[in-house]
Amino acid sequence: MSRGQGIYHSGPVVWAATVASTCLLLYLFQKVLWLVVPFVLALVIYYALSPIKLRLVLAGFTHDAATGLVSAGAFALFVLGLVLVLPKLLTDAVAWQGAASRYIEGGVNLAMATLQHLERSVAMFAHARLSDQLAGQIAEASDGFARKYLAGIAMTVAAWAPSLLLAPFLAFFMLRDGWRFKKFLGQAVPNAFFERTLYLLDQMDCTARLYFLGLIQLTVLDTLCLAGGLWLLGVSGPLLLGLVTAVLAWIPYIGSILGCVLVVLVAATDFPGNPAVAYGAVGLFLIVRLLDDFIFMPLTIGRSLRMHPLLTVLMIFVGGAVAGVPGLMLVLPVLGVVMVQGETIGMVITDPRLRARHVHAKRLRQQVVTEDLRL
Amino acid sequence: MFEFMRGRPHATGSHRLGKTSLLAGLKGSELNIVEGFLHTRHYLPGEIVFDQDEDGQALYVVLSGRVLICRPGHADTPIAELGAGEFFGELALLDDSPRSAQARAGEPAELAVLFRGDFERLMESHAQIASRIAMQLARHIGQRLRNMVALVPHEVRSQ
Repeated sequence: MSRGQGIYHSGPVVWAATVASTCLLLYLFQKVLWLVVPFVLALVIYYALSPIKLRLVLAGFTHDAATGLVSAGAFALFVLGLVLVLPKLLTDAVAWQGAASRYIEGGVNLAMATLQHLERSVAMFAHARLSDQLAGQIAEASDGFARKYLAGIAMTVAAWAPSLLLAPFLAFFMLRDGWRFKKFLGQAVPNAFFERTLYLLDQMDCTARLYFLGLIQLTVLDTLCLAGGLWLLGVSGPLLLGLVTAVLAWIPYIGSILGCVLVVLVAATDFPGNPAVAYGAVGLFLIVRLLDDFIFMPLTIGRSLRMHPLLTVLMIFVGGAVAGVPGLMLVLPVLGVVMVQGETIGMVITDPRLRARHVHAKRLRQQVVTEDLRL
Repeated sequence: MFEFMRGRPHATGSHRLGKTSLLAGLKGSELNIVEGFLHTRHYLPGEIVFDQDEDGQALYVVLSGRVLICRPGHADTPIAELGAGEFFGELALLDDSPRSAQARAGEPAELAVLFRGDFERLMESHAQIASRIAMQLARHIGQRLRNMVALVPHEVRSQ
């Protein structure tokens, strides 16, 4: 703050502008999702690899050489992983179709058994004949599923594959030129606003870094808790299932529901005659969600965003309404960055001393360049 | 108006940094790293670098020119004059306290700026370099304290 100013707090205008900008950005992002998704992935790769690059710079490498080495190393690891895993994936690919059908069948059987149990116990459900309706709907959906949807899914995968290849490309340039870009942006700022603007850039970088690192930590914690619980219940592949479910939870609400369905399908298939295991899996899932919302999230992502919980929930709904599933995923990091930006711009433009210093500097510059023009 | 479109020379030059009192103890490779964290700014005579009581976010190293440290409105009677190789605004790196005086360019000055956030990152990623800089800062502040004590009359000190 400059002289004579109190501690700055964003007013309603800045907040309204922040929310409106977030909505506008989400709307625009939805239109260029093919660019936004690889950009977000590139940010995750960048924040994961930048500490290694900095270590190399300390060891005496130039920024460019360090970036080249880190990128080559990461690429070599990726290729090595692919070489090791791909043959097994191709071998198992045929079995996946059978496994998927088996898990879906297990889930359907659980749902049918639960509904039939309810129909036997509660007269209202018996009259509604829900199990018959469900059986009819499942038969209708599964009939010609491949014909209806498979071509569309294949086309979507084919369309997304090239844009996803952008992620490592973008990450490379972020690693190589990120520090230059910050300096470049700094150069465009007049001296009077320089320190404040640098603070803005730093806060934005800090928010994004903490968010993505927090997301990785949250995923690890969720994976470990779910995997531990599923292992205790005796469900097969607990670690993989825990990881997939934790990654799905990146999408607020919808991701959690999908994750829960996945866990139940596997539990119901592994223990077809014992629905208690599937109910136990649902219970475990709910417990992990509660842990996630009230303990893990505030410790990881919550630290980076410093937002009121009510605003967070409302903005998740707004993000979903404006931009669908991508909006749900992107709303919190975008809001975090826009919020910092809004606060700092508000701080700069409402500070009369900074504006006066800028005018003074411009006057001095004008005097220098016109000195020899005066008669 | 179109100043932002014009690129400015920004290579600070590690050899120039090595001549400054803050970074004199660093090796060539370490100076290269620090250079990556520094921003270069140019000021005209009379232009304000920062104001008294302003939130401090950065430390400034004078690469060329002269900077006056003064009370607001008293630029003609500065508290201190700093030349090439000297640095100021170091308290901003250590705490959140406001600037204790105004800094203003006395003649065309080129300054290297180390932002607090970058210094904190330097401490995380390059603890050795950051500790050397911190040691220089401590020495500088110690020297200033000794100078201040020396200015206090002997009678007052003995009380």
